Amino acid sequence: MRKGTLLGIILGIVVAAIATGLGAVLATSQTPVILVHYKQGAIPLNPDASFWSSVSKVSIPLSPQMLVYPQTYKSISRTLKVAAAYNGTHFALFIEWKDSTKDVEGIPGNISAFADAVAAEFPVNSSGMPYICMGDTAHPVNIVFWKAGRGVENMVAGSGYGMQPGEKYAIGMEEATTSPVEELPPQAQIWVASAKYENGMWKVVLMRPMGSVFPLVPSFKPGETTSVAFANWEGSLDQRAGMHEISGWFTLKFAPLTATGTVTPTPAKTTTVTATKTVTKTTTATVTKTTTVVKVNKGVIIGLSVVIIVLAVALGLALIRRHTT
Amino acid sequence: MIRAQFAMVINLDKCLGCHACAINGKKVWTNREGQEYAWWANVETRPGVGYPKLWEDQERYGGGWVLVNGKLRLRLEVEKKFKPLEMRDYYTPYTYDYKALFAPEVGEEQPVANPINMYTKKPMEIKWSPNWDDDLGGANIYGKADPNWKNIQASIYMTLRNIFMFYLPRLCNHCLNPACVAACPTKAIYKRKEDGIVLIDQTRCKGYRYCEIACPYKKIFFNWKTGKSEKCIFCYPRLEVGLPPICVETCVGRIRYVGVVLYDEDKVLEAASAPEDKLVAAHRSIILDPFDPKVIKQAKADGVPDNFIKAAQESPAYYMFKKWEIALPLHPEYRTLPMVFYIPPLSPVIASMGPNGTYDAKYESIIPSIDEMRIPLQYLANMFAAGNVDEVKKALKRLVAIREFFRRINVEGMSKMAAASVLQEVGLSIEDADLIYKWLALGKDRWVIPTRNRPPRLASQRIPSIQSS
Repeated sequence: MRKGTLLGIILGIVVAAIATGLGAVLATSQTPVILVHYKQGAIPLNPDASFWSSVSKVSIPLSPQMLVYPQTYKSISRTLKVAAAYNGTHFALFIEWKDSTKDVEGIPGNISAFADAVAAEFPVNSSGMPYICMGDTAHPVNIVFWKAGRGVENMVAGSGYGMQPGEKYAIGMEEATTSPVEELPPQAQIWVASAKYENGMWKVVLMRPMGSVFPLVPSFKPGETTSVAFANWEGSLDQRAGMHEISGWFTLKFAPLTATGTVTPTPAKTTTVTATKTVTKTTTATVTKTTTVVKVNKGVIIGLSVVIIVLAVALGLALIRRHTT
Repeated sequence: MIRAQFAMVINLDKCLGCHACAINGKKVWTNREGQEYAWWANVETRPGVGYPKLWEDQERYGGGWVLVNGKLRLRLEVEKKFKPLEMRDYYTPYTYDYKALFAPEVGEEQPVANPINMYTKKPMEIKWSPNWDDDLGGANIYGKADPNWKNIQASIYMTLRNIFMFYLPRLCNHCLNPACVAACPTKAIYKRKEDGIVLIDQTRCKGYRYCEIACPYKKIFFNWKTGKSEKCIFCYPRLEVGLPPICVETCVGRIRYVGVVLYDEDKVLEAASAPEDKLVAAHRSIILDPFDPKVIKQAKADGVPDNFIKAAQESPAYYMFKKWEIALPLHPEYRTLPMVFYIPPLSPVIASMGPNGTYDAKYESIIPSIDEMRIPLQYLANMFAAGNVDEVKKALKRLVAIREFFRRINVEGMSKMAAASVLQEVGLSIEDADLIYKWLALGKDRWVIPTRNRPPRLASQRIPSIQSS
């Protein structure tokens, strides 16, 4: 191996290590957008529902939080699989991850266990991207936190959110912000959750209404784009508080309301959506990544396929010619 | 910045181990689901392993502060290996099948209330309890495991001739430099500005339990039901209306004293970073003289109310810890500057009958040699002075001198003036002796509790805009 190449590889590893240490997730740029599928009718809260097994999921790589006390000194690498859907009134996140131990809190007399947990954060306003670790004054973050055995909580973080003590008091919060993350008052606890642990896998569905009247909880709108980031705690490693795995920011894109079918998360130009059928009726037999498919006009597919094949052959010929000359 | 702080003194010389403090603390605050195993106040028998088991072993639990290159750091941050406590570190909480005592059937045998596991609700065998090594019952087995045997040959004190015991009642120390506050990632624990009471905000606590590891006294208890941690609150709702904490008021031996001390907040870090043998002295140095006009002026400027300053002048804690130096902090080497102080126990001088029927005890001057006392000084020093024997000696000598002073008056019929020579020897005055007698012997005026004189706060008064307009 050449000296330069070796140096390059080492440099690359060093840069990657530093970036990871700073909480930046390198894989972010390569990961597709999390598309919030539109679904007609009720979105199932049950994580075992066929809808959640058929809907396409995005892999979210995680890395240990090393920026603030308490840092993550015990960790195992893991990836979340996330799907999202809305139905005009409600928004739901489906999160699943592999976990060989089921760690649940709240069992009578059990003070030995820390629970497995997962959280997602959203920017409260669209004025700019919040700091990934608990936001900042100008860009607070709204956090939904689910903990095994304890349930779901809606929280906010971001150093006072630029609000006066009186304003905070008026919306039912403590006047002085003394904690990096605060629990929102009862009227803002809009999330419901259900979870299941089976075969070494946690599946969690988090659901809330699309709109929010509470100032520190964002409203979601069809067709809109916002961001989302995830965090995950492994109870068997005593992970809690800052000791956990985090992702970078991901784009969360709400499919337009007009498309009553679903849109595939990777915008492949070969498929055309006909707005006739709903997701639950689709077949998953031939689909790999994009498991949510709708009835598509056969003629269009054939036509496009022919065009692609012709283009590919032409490209191949051109390459061969160039190579030989 | 001068602040006021509630402090407690516990006179171990008179603790009779009745557990009234523990039972009342339990009945008032933790007699509910989630806190079955929690004893905010407890009584231990020493030598022994205590509750939770071996809580003083910081290599095991990771509590308190350590000096790293002269800087104070949380032990749990220096060595990232410590876990919160488990139920086996405490004990399996149990109740009794009381219904069996009222069974309608009349039988041959006396009815028995068998122990029942509080979690499974099934009969169980009791294998450990909050004070398993009570009354020397287990001292021959567990006594040697006591972490306070440092630099002492423990086996000597396991023999019948040399064996000793005393009680150690404990509670949250409401430290000046609390490790639990520093360890909380959500800043749910705070030290009240007005009186120094350390509290956990139950709305902010997320049950991360770093406080539990950080507290070297293991006085924070996780509530499995609420998922939040709880601790002794120094009965602040009682203090606010002028009542003493429940453990103080119900103390049968009248050995608990509560008062306010004034301290210099800016010197806390310096005192907590002192060398081990000077920790007690450094701790005393930040407690201020409430009669000093400069201190009074500054305290007023810093917002300490007049009645708190007056209370500090009458505070048993100020006299016993600061002025007379007869009270000592529990394990100052944890560097949290605890604010519950202990008057070390006196014990009989080990002596034997001489050939002529005389009592063959060694005396240095009139005061019997403190070194000949049954409880080894080093043991007490390990517990109350980070190993500094001189601090314990000073306290014990003064206690003996007070006894000798009153013995001379009451038994030998000496005048107060003539008897006072024994006081001079240890640096106390007759006025000091009278006050010590009033507090330690008679148990009068054991608490001086100032209140903020606040009118009761109504819910409607909470909106600031309405009040100001």
